[in-house]
Amino acid sequence: MKVTINGKETALSENPARTIDSLLEELDVNQRLYVTVEFNGEVLDRTEHETTPVADGDTIEFLYFMGGGRS
Amino acid sequence: MKSELKFDSLLIHGGSEPGPAGATSVPIVQSSSFAYPTAQGLEDVFRGRAIGQVYTRIGNPTTEALEKRLALLEGGGTAIATASGMAAITTAVMTVVRCGDEILASSSLFGGTFSLFRDTLSNYGITTTFVDPLDLEAVAAAINDRTRLLFVETVGNPKLDVPDIPALADIAHAAGIPIMVDSTVTSPYLATGARLKADILAYSTSKYINGTGTTIGGAIVDRGVFDWNSPKFPHFEAFHKKYRQFAFTARVRKLVHKDLGACPAPLNSFLLTEGVQTLALRMERHCSNALTLARFLAAHPKVAWVSYPGLEDSPHHEVAKKLYGTRFGGLLTFGTGDKPSAFKVIDNLAMARNLANIGDAKTLVIHPASTICADYCAEDKALMGVTEDLIRVSVGIEDPQDIVEDFTRALEAV
Repeated sequence: MKVTINGKETALSENPARTIDSLLEELDVNQRLYVTVEFNGEVLDRTEHETTPVADGDTIEFLYFMGGGRS
Repeated sequence: MKSELKFDSLLIHGGSEPGPAGATSVPIVQSSSFAYPTAQGLEDVFRGRAIGQVYTRIGNPTTEALEKRLALLEGGGTAIATASGMAAITTAVMTVVRCGDEILASSSLFGGTFSLFRDTLSNYGITTTFVDPLDLEAVAAAINDRTRLLFVETVGNPKLDVPDIPALADIAHAAGIPIMVDSTVTSPYLATGARLKADILAYSTSKYINGTGTTIGGAIVDRGVFDWNSPKFPHFEAFHKKYRQFAFTARVRKLVHKDLGACPAPLNSFLLTEGVQTLALRMERHCSNALTLARFLAAHPKVAWVSYPGLEDSPHHEVAKKLYGTRFGGLLTFGTGDKPSAFKVIDNLAMARNLANIGDAKTLVIHPASTICADYCAEDKALMGVTEDLIRVSVGIEDPQDIVEDFTRALEAV
């Protein structure tokens, strides 16, 4: 399956059990405790990471407040 | 970020990553800015899609190592290191309040913070009400519908009053406002932000964190526990939407700290990562030496009064014991009756240094009424607990016998 992560099309193995939380772990995303996840244009609450399934065609953004830009 | 290590180990290893060529100390990255091989790479960092450094005013690898450690020491959350303690307080407070808002602050604040609130922020439409932090009913009664922040110190400097911070936190939270705590005098070793129920800490790292009087610095710690999604804080709405529990950190990093520009020098951040490693050992000695000196002074015939929370007859002893256990900090004050005798004591100390600082390995003294509090009127001095005979002692970590002998000789001159 293919999803778009931070603007890049990314191929993932088929895994119907995959959630945002497990994807963060799978991709070894930096600073998982602080990252904000925008899922198909909507910011997820941290409590939703474990319950939000990832499907083919989803658009996911990982956002940090560490960098230099304005939000 | 949470960690399994205990506090004393976090002081040494917290947030540490292996340095170049296996270096075990934090590398000093003395660079203004950071280059990226591609335009896309830098855009990703600016947009927050990737973690990276841009410009040392905004972030720096050496400073980041310090920030990670300081956050872990408070029981988790995020930290932002600043150029000084006053820079930390200014940045943190200006992140919370806007023109028309009110701050409720302890009446026994450190002079610099008192001046910031009363004389500087008042020029920008931010008013501060000062209240006795020991009077919980008065604190609750002083909160009105424009109050946006409760600001207190763990131990008033130089008043040495010891407010019940968790009780004050409950009052602030019941009113829907955050409590910001300056823990400079106690350091996270005596009590972490988590234990104090502080939402945000803003303090000087120049004192006990540094430990040897080499470095000016400050830090803001956001424990990520206050709910900013409130009609009281409409200016947090966009930050809360995107960064949720860390809305405050995002507003500091992406707006106020970036705009005010009070960043630390990388060398200073390095010195603080070195200094903080011995905090636990130093604080134990500061506290035991202060208790020894306080007991000596309390029994001395030429000493009119001594204030130290560790003395059993101190009005602050019970609260201090409840919050900080058996350790009561390194600061004490005492009086010899009048200003001339106070000057005589200071002039006749051989080892203790007469200067404007606290938290050094060296024993330090100062006469606040004629120096750090000289600009305040009698009424303000009374509010801050500064009398004409008061000598503040920041008790160092020298041999306790040498400290006592130094004060013994100095008091002989009175």
